[in-house]
Amino acid sequence: MSLFQLLNGLTFAALLFVVASGFTLIFGLLRIVNLAHGALYLFGGYIGFSIAVKTGSFIVGGIGAMAAIAAIGFVLDQGLLRFVRGNELRQVLLTLGVAFFLNDLALVIWGGDSFTVPIPEFLRGGVRVFGTFYPKYRLFVLVMGILVFIGLWVLLNHTRLGALIRAGVDDAEMVEASGVNIRRVFLFTFLFGSALAGLAGLMGGAFLSLYPSADAEILTFSLAVVIIGGRGSLVGVAVGSLLVGLLNTLGQVMFPELAYFVIFGPMAVLLAFRPLGLFGRAT
Amino acid sequence: MLEIRDLYSGYGDAVVVRGVSLDVMPGEIVALLGRNGMGKTTVIRCIMGLVPPQVRSGSITWRGESLLGLRAHDIAGKKIAIVPQGRRLFPSLTVTEHLTMLKSASAKDGWTLDRVFGIFPRLAERRHHRGGQLSGGERGMLAVGRALMIDPELILMDEPSEGLAPVMVQHLEGIIVDLKKEGLSILLVEQNLYSALAVADRVYVLETGRVVHHGTAEELNNQTDVLFQRLGVQ
Repeated sequence: MSLFQLLNGLTFAALLFVVASGFTLIFGLLRIVNLAHGALYLFGGYIGFSIAVKTGSFIVGGIGAMAAIAAIGFVLDQGLLRFVRGNELRQVLLTLGVAFFLNDLALVIWGGDSFTVPIPEFLRGGVRVFGTFYPKYRLFVLVMGILVFIGLWVLLNHTRLGALIRAGVDDAEMVEASGVNIRRVFLFTFLFGSALAGLAGLMGGAFLSLYPSADAEILTFSLAVVIIGGRGSLVGVAVGSLLVGLLNTLGQVMFPELAYFVIFGPMAVLLAFRPLGLFGRAT
Repeated sequence: MLEIRDLYSGYGDAVVVRGVSLDVMPGEIVALLGRNGMGKTTVIRCIMGLVPPQVRSGSITWRGESLLGLRAHDIAGKKIAIVPQGRRLFPSLTVTEHLTMLKSASAKDGWTLDRVFGIFPRLAERRHHRGGQLSGGERGMLAVGRALMIDPELILMDEPSEGLAPVMVQHLEGIIVDLKKEGLSILLVEQNLYSALAVADRVYVLETGRVVHHGTAEELNNQTDVLFQRLGVQ
């Protein structure tokens, strides 16, 4: 694998990390397998794209995508999911339904063409990395992924809210019995995780482009990342993203006709030996 | 202060608590004794507002206010804390985080990190260890410390001596008596008769969801034969 391909794998891993970190926070704390997470990614990409085109600002697009997807997350959690709390099958079916709905809504609003989010001037073109010419924007995605990791790490490990979120992943009832309204922590986490999907949508929309089935593709990869890394574990998501990102690139380069198998084959083997993922814990 | 009247409660179709009435007065240690599966933990969960079980009928009042239908965090906000069965520490949190997740480390009112470390010096030594890395005794101390951090007036302790070495049980009994001296009320669930009689002012004995015996610790001290029958071999 050349350096160019290695960097491709790493930048894809960085994008996966931003999507899947929100996914695993929600999965770990709320025990909701949010199958609408991919749709939130795609919707965030479209909204960010529209705002970025209108305002001419990539940053405003990013903020708009995060705010809009957090708002959709609010409606999803407070308007729908609250009625099926504790019932996993209904939650899964409900979020799947929402995914289809958002997907169709996107088709109505933006049509079936593929869009690419315009990249800001200063990120266009390429730079030389160890003698390889590489697009600046993809390096920016890599940096963003690392920044999101650091930000989440500080939030989870060095703030009281982070301690409450981790405690909630361990034993939500006991957090509640200690005087904390765990539902408020749940809601914050859900909005935050959704906003990360929206941000990722904009980031990914600029180099993978946005098209009607992009949500299912990113959701499949995110599921693989979270299953490999272990539910609710930040380090697990980081390692899972790196594995899936690099395996995906390796698969595409070396065995194009087996690209999916290169990811999901090892995942199946891993699950046989570690059913809870690399960093997962039984609760 | 805490007043339970004719409480019926259970899980699904199974009724586990059948007409329990009990009181806890300010500054009093009340023990709830009984063998496994007699409904002790169910009573504690009902008081704390933890679901399941569902409360079928009866009343639970605290300072004249009904606790029924309130959520656990509201009940904790009324200064009722719980030391649950099995401790239920958080494996991902350090000792310090268990104590500061509810109250900032710089808080000055009521129970503080320093005060908890003062009565449990062992916890101060282990402050950077996580919940899962502590010994049985340390786990018990941390569960009590975590409960204290909400500045409770009543602590519900569900088998705090479970799995502890005799010397640790004695240490814990000392702590419970000290807390009482601070004016706290404690509702202590126990299987161990001697541990309960050592600290409690009054004792209720629960059998298949009913109170079958009730009296002051002195009264019951003279009837240990009867109690042994009720509680089975100790």
